Amino acid sequence: MEEYVNRTQLQEFENNVINLYRDKQSPLMQILQESQKLYGCVPFEVQNLISNELNISTAKINGVVSFYSMFSLVPSGKHIIGVCTGTACHVKGAQRLVSRVEDALDTHYGETTEDGQFTLAHTRCVGDCSKGAVVMIDDKMHSKVTSDNILDILEPYRKQ
Amino acid sequence: MKMINLKINGKDIKVPDGKNIIEYTKDLNIDIPTFCYDERLKSEGACRMCVVEVKGMNRLVASCATPATDGKEIYTHSEEVIKARKEVLELTWASHPNDCVVCDANGSCKLQDYSYEYKIDSIPVYDGHKRDFEINSSNKFFEIDPEKCILCGLCVNVCEQLQGLDALGFSERGYKTYVSFAYNAGMETSNCVSCGNCVSVCPTGAMMEKTEDIFRSWETTRTRTTCPYCGVGCQFDLVVKNNKVVQIDPAPGTPNEGLLCVKGKFAFKFINHEGRLKTPLIKENGEFREASWEEAYSLITEKITGIKKEFGPGAFAGLASAKVTNEENYMFQKLFRAVIGTNNVDHCARLCHASTVAGLAITLGSGAMTNSIAEVKGNDVIFIIGSNTTETHPVIGAFMKQAKAQGAKIIVADPRKIDLAFGANVYLGIKPGTNVALLNAMMNVIYHEGLYDKSYIDSRTENFDKFLESIKEFTPEMGAEICGCKAEDIRKAARIYASGNKAAIYYAMGITQHSQGTNHVKSIANIALLCGNVGKENAGINPLRGQNNVQGACDMGGLPDVYPGYQKVFNKEVQAKFEKAWDVKLDDKVGLSLPHILNGAYEDKIKFMYIMGENPVVSDPDTTHVKKSLENLDFLVVQDLFVTETAQYADVILPASSYAEKDGTFTNTERRVQKIRKAIEPIGESKPDIVIIQEIMNLLGYNQGILTSSQVMDELALLTPIYKGISYSRIDEVGLQWPVKDKKHPGTKFLHEGRFSRGKGLFSPVDYIAAQELPDEEYPLILTTGRVLYHYHTITMTGKNKEINEIVPANYIEIHPKTAALYNVKHMDKISVSSRRGKTIADVHITENIGEMIVFMPFHFADGANMLTNSALDETCHIPELKVCAVKIDNKI
Amino acid sequence: MNRKALEKIKNDTIKLDPDLFEKKVKTHEKEIRVVLQNCDIIDPENINHYIVNNGYFGIHNAVTSMSQEDVIKEVIDSGLRGRGGGGFPTGKKWNFAYKNENETKYIICNADEGDPGAFMDRSILEKDPHSVLEGMMIAGYAIGAQTGFIYVRAEYPLAAQRLQIAIDAAREINILGENIFDSGFNFDIEIRLGAGAFVCGEETALIASIEGYRGMARNKPPYPASNGLYGKPTIINNVETLANIAQIILKGSKWFRSFGTEASPGTKVFALAGKIKNAGLIEVPMGITLGEIINDIGHGVSNKRKFKAVLTGGPSGGCLTEAHLNEKVDFDNLVALGSMMGSGGMIVLDDHDCMVDIAKFFLDFSVDESCGKCTPCREGTIQLYKILEKITNGTGTKEDLDKLYTLSKAIKRTSLCGLGLTAPNPVLSTLEYFYDEYLAHVVDKKCPSSTCKELINEYIITDDCIGCTICAKRCPVDCISGERKELHIIDQEACIKCGECFASCNFDAIITL
Ligand SMILES: Nc1nc2c(c(=O)[nH]1)N[C@H]1C(S)=C(S)[C@@H](COP(=O)(O)OP(=O)(O)OC[C@H]3O[C@@H](n4cnc5c(=O)[nH]c(N)nc54)[C@H](O)[C@@H]3O)O[C@H]1N2
Ligand SMILES: Nc1nc2c(c(=O)[nH]1)N[C@H]1C(S)=C(S)[C@@H](COP(=O)(O)OP(=O)(O)OC[C@H]3O[C@@H](n4cnc5c(=O)[nH]c(N)nc54)[C@H](O)[C@@H]3O)O[C@H]1N2
Ligand SMILES: Cc1cc2nc3c(=O)[nH]c(=O)nc-3n(C[C@H](O)[C@H](O)[C@H](O)COP(=O)(O)O)c2cc1C
Ligand code: SF4
Ligand code: SF4
Ligand code: SF4
Ligand code: SF4
Ligand code: SF4
Ligand code: FES
Ligand code: FES
Ligand SMILES: [Mo]
Repeated sequence: MEEYVNRTQLQEFENNVINLYRDKQSPLMQILQESQKLYGCVPFEVQNLISNELNISTAKINGVVSFYSMFSLVPSGKHIIGVCTGTACHVKGAQRLVSRVEDALDTHYGETTEDGQFTLAHTRCVGDCSKGAVVMIDDKMHSKVTSDNILDILEPYRKQ
Repeated sequence: MKMINLKINGKDIKVPDGKNIIEYTKDLNIDIPTFCYDERLKSEGACRMCVVEVKGMNRLVASCATPATDGKEIYTHSEEVIKARKEVLELTWASHPNDCVVCDANGSCKLQDYSYEYKIDSIPVYDGHKRDFEINSSNKFFEIDPEKCILCGLCVNVCEQLQGLDALGFSERGYKTYVSFAYNAGMETSNCVSCGNCVSVCPTGAMMEKTEDIFRSWETTRTRTTCPYCGVGCQFDLVVKNNKVVQIDPAPGTPNEGLLCVKGKFAFKFINHEGRLKTPLIKENGEFREASWEEAYSLITEKITGIKKEFGPGAFAGLASAKVTNEENYMFQKLFRAVIGTNNVDHCARLCHASTVAGLAITLGSGAMTNSIAEVKGNDVIFIIGSNTTETHPVIGAFMKQAKAQGAKIIVADPRKIDLAFGANVYLGIKPGTNVALLNAMMNVIYHEGLYDKSYIDSRTENFDKFLESIKEFTPEMGAEICGCKAEDIRKAARIYASGNKAAIYYAMGITQHSQGTNHVKSIANIALLCGNVGKENAGINPLRGQNNVQGACDMGGLPDVYPGYQKVFNKEVQAKFEKAWDVKLDDKVGLSLPHILNGAYEDKIKFMYIMGENPVVSDPDTTHVKKSLENLDFLVVQDLFVTETAQYADVILPASSYAEKDGTFTNTERRVQKIRKAIEPIGESKPDIVIIQEIMNLLGYNQGILTSSQVMDELALLTPIYKGISYSRIDEVGLQWPVKDKKHPGTKFLHEGRFSRGKGLFSPVDYIAAQELPDEEYPLILTTGRVLYHYHTITMTGKNKEINEIVPANYIEIHPKTAALYNVKHMDKISVSSRRGKTIADVHITENIGEMIVFMPFHFADGANMLTNSALDETCHIPELKVCAVKIDNKI
Repeated sequence: MNRKALEKIKNDTIKLDPDLFEKKVKTHEKEIRVVLQNCDIIDPENINHYIVNNGYFGIHNAVTSMSQEDVIKEVIDSGLRGRGGGGFPTGKKWNFAYKNENETKYIICNADEGDPGAFMDRSILEKDPHSVLEGMMIAGYAIGAQTGFIYVRAEYPLAAQRLQIAIDAAREINILGENIFDSGFNFDIEIRLGAGAFVCGEETALIASIEGYRGMARNKPPYPASNGLYGKPTIINNVETLANIAQIILKGSKWFRSFGTEASPGTKVFALAGKIKNAGLIEVPMGITLGEIINDIGHGVSNKRKFKAVLTGGPSGGCLTEAHLNEKVDFDNLVALGSMMGSGGMIVLDDHDCMVDIAKFFLDFSVDESCGKCTPCREGTIQLYKILEKITNGTGTKEDLDKLYTLSKAIKRTSLCGLGLTAPNPVLSTLEYFYDEYLAHVVDKKCPSSTCKELINEYIITDDCIGCTICAKRCPVDCISGERKELHIIDQEACIKCGECFASCNFDAIITL
C-alpha cells in the first residue's frame, strides 16, 4: 500500500488533531474531516492511528469513511472539478458538460486524471441552482456554464 | 410495572409495558419471520421481514423495532402483511445469486425457508442488477461471500454488541454495501478472534464455515452438550453426520447465551481424529502394541493386586481428571478409596486453584466462584487480577465487555497488558508475584480515605482490627515500589473498586499459582470484605475455574483430603457414612497431593500410578523431574484419548471415549452442573471412563456392577450434600448451581447471602512475601507462564486442528522491545531460554504489552515452559509457583 | 446582557447607518418577506445589524416574560409547520420533547439541505445566520435543552463559516452561553459538518452522523423527541422553520396566521430554477397558485419553449403539469396531487425534457444516496433504476411499466425511512401524468422530447434553420457545416449523437428521427 502521510505528519496529526478532540463526545467525524482537509484524504495510516488512539476499531472507522462521499482513501487531483449534476443543472444540460469534460481530460466522472492534475468529482447541487448549470472548480463557483464556455473555464487550471 | 392491553390477531392480552411488538407475539407462539432481529441485540428494523399491521397506523411497522403501546390492535398475518413480506423476499432475491443447489447453506438458510413459506413464485423476480463481490476467505475458519449476504447486519452487531470487538463492519453504502473486515482486507487487519459468533447468526450462506466435510442439514443429527474445554461450560449442539462431528452450533440461554469461543466452535477435529486411541496398548520391550481389553485389564489387576500385597495401598496414587465427567471422577476416587484403599488421589486442580480452595475455605468457608456468569453483566465495577479472561474464559470476557459497554468500570492488574486492559479505567502493570503488595496498598487507601463498609464489617466479619495492623502502614507508594506501577494508579483503582455497589473481583492463575498463592487469595478476600462486596448479587469474589470440569473433579473428591462434597477424610462421621455406603473400611489419613505423589514416585515410595485424563509431562513444573519420577514407577496406567507425552511413560494405555461419545455431567465455574450427551458411538474400541473404571473395580473383586451415569449421579447425590437435590431429570434443560439442598431446591445463584459458609467472614493479615526465585545476575529475567486463546493446555485436543496450529504453531516467548534490544534479539528469532532447571527453545514475540525484564511463555508445548518452571510449593495448599521463576536468554539459534 | 443593552446596540447601530432598513430588496408584488426579511440587507457578519431589526428581542421576551408552556403555545397557535419537507406542526413536536422529562435534551438545526436543486436554507444561513440561532435558542428554552447542534451540509463552507462568526459574536456579548438575559437559561450551539450523504438530512440518520456513525436511518418510533441524540429527547427543525420562530414570538401567532392558509399558515421560500426566465429565491404566502409563481413571479418558461411540468419536493416529490397551474401551493394540496412541498425546490421543465429521463435522474440519485440499511430501498431503488434505464435505452417493454408500478408500491410499503418511502414518488407521479410518454418509449421506441440518446437515430436540420451557426460551433466533432444565414447540414457519419446541436438551437430547427 502506498503511504500518503509520513511518520512526522502522523505524529503532528496526533498532537494537533486527535488530542484536540480526544475527550470530546463522538469526535470521529470531526477528526476524519480534519484529515480530509489536511491531506485531501483519510488514508489507512490515519485510520489506523485513530483506531489505536481512540480505541475505535478499524472496521468501524473504515465503515464511516466509506459511507460518506466526501471522504476518500487516496488524495484527489490538484484541482477538483465539480460539474453539478443536481436537478436544476441536470435540466440545464449538466450531462453534456460532464461528457465534454470527460472527453477533454480523458477521464471519467468520479475519477482523477493520470497526471493527477484534475479530479472530476461527483457533485450534487452546490446551492446555486437558479444560475445553472454550475461548475465548481476547487472553491470557485462558475455559474451559467454551457458547452461553449466550459473548456475556456478549464483552460487556466490546466497549466497550473 | 405498567400494564398495557393489546389485541393481537383478535386475541386480547394484558402485558407489561416496554417491549417491542415482536416480543409479545412470541409469547403467543405466533411465528413472525425475521432476518435482522435477535433478542440479544438492539433492534435495527433493517430487513423489514417482520412487518405487521397496526390498526390506526398508516403504514406497516417493523414489529421487531416498534414498541407496542396501550390499546393497539395488531395483525401479524393479514393479507397486506403477507403481501409485503413476499415483496421484501422478492427484493432480497433481486441481487442474490440463485445458487441454492450448490450452496453450503442449502437446508439451513432462512431466505430459502421463507421463500418457500411465503410461496415466492419464481426466482428471481427482478433481474436488473446482481452483486459482484469477491469471497473473503482470510479467516481460517470461515469465509464471507458478500454476494449471498442479505445485509441483515447480525454478524456486525453480534461482533460489536456481544463479542465486544467490532472486527466486522459495513463498507460503502446503498446497494454497494458489503460486510467485511476493515478495508476489505484480511482479518489480520482486524481484531477478530475467530469466535465464529458471526457465522453462527448468519441467516444465509453468506458466512460459511470452511469445512472438508460436506453435509446437508437433513443428513445430520444434533445433540445438545457442554463444551469440553474451559470452565465457562458453554452449551452447544454437536452436528453429526455418519458418526462424525461436522459442525458445532452455540445454544441459546444459560450460561453462554449463544456465544462460543474459537475452541468451542471450531476446535472439534480431535473427536474424530485419526490419532485417537482405538484399542488398549501394552508396552513390551519399550514398544507399545495393540491389545485386547481383557489382556489390558488382567495385566492391570494383576499388578494392582501384586503391588498392594507387597507395598500396601500407600504405594498407589491416582490422578483424577478435570476433563472427564463428575460421575467418572466419583468412580475414580471410589476405586482408589474403596477398592485400593488409599486417599492418594489428586488432579490438576492442584496446579490451578488449590490456593483458592484453601484460601477461601479459611476466609469464607467455601472455595468456589461466589456469583453466576450471568451476573457479570450486572457488575458496575469489574476488577480483573491475574486472569486473562478474554483468552481463557472468552465468553465471560465477552460479558465483561458487554458490562463495560453498559458503563461498568474496569480495573486490570496483570504484568501483561491484556486485551481487557485496553480501554480499562485503570491498568496496573504489576510485577509477577506482587499481588499482595498491590492489594494491601489498595486497602490502605480504602481505609485511610474512609471508603470501607463499616456496617458490613461490623455485622458480617471478624478479626478486622488485627487485619488493620497489616495494612495501616502499607502506603500506595510502598505498593508502587514493589509492584513497579504508579502510586496514583493504585489510589485510583482503590477508589473505583470501593465506589462500586456491584463490584466483583475476577481472578485466576495470576493470583493462585504462587508459593504464596493461599495468601494472595486471602488478600482478595480481605479487600472484598473490607468493601462489603461479597455475599450479594452482582458483587463477589470470582475465581474463574479453568477446566471444563475442574470444579466437578474437586466436588467429586478428586483431592487427597476430602470425599465428595468437601467432606474431610479425617472426619469420623463422614468416614462412617462412606464406609456404610460403600461397604468397606476407609483410610482416615489425608493422602498425598500431586507434587508429593510425583516426589513419592521419584523417591520410590509410590509404585503404581493411574493417570486418567491428565498430561503431567507437559503440564507439571520442572519437566525433567516429572519424567524421572514417572520413569521410576513400577507400573503406570494412562487413560486418555491420545498417546500423550505422559502416555509414553505408561505400561498400559487405555483408550477412553471422548465427551462426544458419552453421557454425564460437568460442573462449570459458576457451580452449574450441566449435562453432556452422547452424540456419536465410541471411536474404535474405546470406552467411556466410567465403564472402564467400574469394570476394573469389578475385576478387583469389588461388587460395583456397571451403573449408568445417571445412576451414579443418584448415588453421589445421596452422599454429597451440595449435590443432594440434583438428578438427571432436573438438569435436562438447564443445569443447576450447587448447593442444591434438596430435590425442590432451585440451586444457588450466589453464595454467602446473609451469612458466610463459615459464619462470619474472616479477615486475615497477609504480609507481602516475594516469590521463591527472583532474578539475579545469572538469571536476570522473570518468566511468567500461561495460556493463549487458541490452544488448550497440552494441546492434545486443540493441536489436532490444522487451523489452530497455523495460528499458534510453536513455542514462543513474549519480550518487551527494550529487553529484546538488550539481548539483541528480533521478532521471530528462535532463541534458547534457560533456568536453573532446564532449557527450551522459543520464537521471539516482541510486544510492548509486557513489562521490561519480564518475559511470558505459554506452557502449551511439550518441553517448553515447564522445562524452566520452579516446583517450589505453597506450603498450605501445595500449588507450585508456575507464575514466577528466573530465566536467562542464552543465544539465538 | 439585558434589554437595555440590546436597545442600545440597536440605537447605536441605527445612528451609525440610518438607512440600513430603509433600503428594500426588490421583490415581486406577490412576494412577502418574513423569513428573508434581512437577507441582502444586513451584513450577516455583523451581529449589530441583526439586532437593529429587533434581533434577539424574541429570545429576550421568551426567557424574561414567557414560561416554556407559553412559548410552545404561541408556536402551536401560529400553526407553523416544518419547512424541512414533512410539514409536521412544530409546536406539537416541541411539546412532545418538553413533556419527555430528562436533564439533557438537544436542539438540532437541520441545515443539510440535500434536495439537489434547492438552496433556500443556504441563503438564510449565509445571509441571516442569527435568525437561525435565535430560533434554536427559543426552541431550546421551550423544551428545556441546553445544547444545540447545527448540522451543515459539507458543500456549504461559507454558510458554516458565517454561522461560526455569528455564534462567536453571540457568545461574545453573552447572548449565547450561561444565564442568558439573567434568566438562568443556559444555551450554546456547536456546528457539525456533514460529509456528503443526502440521507443525513433524515433526522435519525442525521443523529447517527453526529454520533459518529455511518449515517444510517433508525426505525421510528421511538421518535427523536423522546429518544434522539445520545438517546436523549431531541428536536430537529429545519433552517427555515427556525428562522420563523423569533418573529412568531415577537409579533405573535395571530400576525403569523395573517399569511397563508388555515392549514398552512405563513410564507414559504421557494427556489425557482430550471427552464424559467426569472429564476431565483422567492418567498410567497402559502396558498398562492402554481401559475402565479411560474408565470407571474417567474415570468414563464425561458427560450420561448412550452411549459411542460414543474418538479416539487425534489427526489421525494413528483411533477405537476399544466393542468395544475391553478392549484394552490400548500402542504396538503401538493400531497393530494401526488407530489409534495418538500423543502421548496421548484424546477420548471419544458418540452425538451423527457419525463422518463427525469424519473431516471431522480432514481439514480436515490440509488446513490440510499443508506443501504433496509431491503426495500436498497434493493428496490436500484431495480427501479435499471428498469428505467431499459426504458430509456429502448429495450423496455409494456410489462416493465407494470413492474415499475408494483415495485414502486412495494418499496413504499415497507421502507424504513423517508428516503425509501418517497424515492418511488417521481416514478409514480410521472407514470400518472405522462403515461403516454412512457408508452412512446416502450412501444414506439421513441423519446418524444428527444432526450433519450439511444432512441434517436439521427439529428436532422430542417428548413427552419436560419443559419445562425450556433449548432456548428457547439458540435464537439465539427460535423455540422453550412454558411452563415444558410441552411446547415449534419454529417451523419461523423455525428456522435451528443445532442449539443439539438440543445443549442433556439429556433427548433433541429429534429430527431
Ligand atoms: N484458551 C485457553 N483457555 C483456558 C485454558 C487454556 O489452556 N487455553 N486453560 C483453562 C484453565 S485450566 C485455567 S486454570 C484457566 C487459567 O486462566 P488464566 O489464569 O486467565 O490464564 P493464565 O494465562 O494462566 O494467567 C492469567 C494472567 O495472569 C497474569 N499473571 C502472571 N503472573 C501474575 C501475577 O503475579 N499477578 C497477576 N495479577 N497476574 C499475573 C498473566 O500475565 C496472565 O495474563 O484458563 C482456562 N482456559
Ligand atoms: N507452566 C505452567 N504450567 C501449568 C499451568 C500454567 O499456568 N503454567 N497451568 C496449570 C493448570 S491451571 C492446569 S489446569 C494444568 C492442566 O494440565 P493437564 O490437565 O495435564 O492438561 P490437559 O492437556 O488438559 O490434559 C488433559 C488430558 O485429558 C485428556 N482427555 C480429554 N478428554 C478426556 C476424556 O474424556 N477421558 C480421558 N480419559 N481423557 C481425556 C486429554 O487428551 C489430555 O491429554 O496445567 C498446569 N500447568
Ligand atoms: C431522505 C430525507 C432527507 C431529508 N433532508 C432534509 C434536509 O436536507 N433538510 C431538512 O430540513 N429536512 C430534511 N428532511 C426532513 C427531516 O427528516 C426532518 O423531518 C426535518 O428536518 C424536521 O424539521 P421541520 O419539522 O422543521 O421540517 C429529510 C428527510 C428525509 C427522509
Ligand atoms: S444463501 Fe440461502 S438462498 Fe442463498 S443460495 Fe444459499 S441456500 Fe440459497
Ligand atoms: S469471528 Fe468473532 S471476532 Fe471475528 S468477526 Fe466474527 S464475531 Fe467478530
Ligand atoms: S453476512 Fe450474514 S449475518 Fe452478516 S449481514 Fe450478511 S447475511 Fe447478515
Ligand atoms: S468459552 Fe470455554 S466453554 Fe465456551 S466455547 Fe470457549 S472453551 Fe468452550
Ligand atoms: S429507506 Fe433507504 S435510506 Fe432509509 S433506511 Fe432504508 S435503505 Fe436507508
Ligand atoms: S442543482 Fe446545480 S447548483 Fe443546485
Ligand atoms: S426482523 Fe424486523 S426488520 Fe428485520
Ligand atoms: Mo487450571
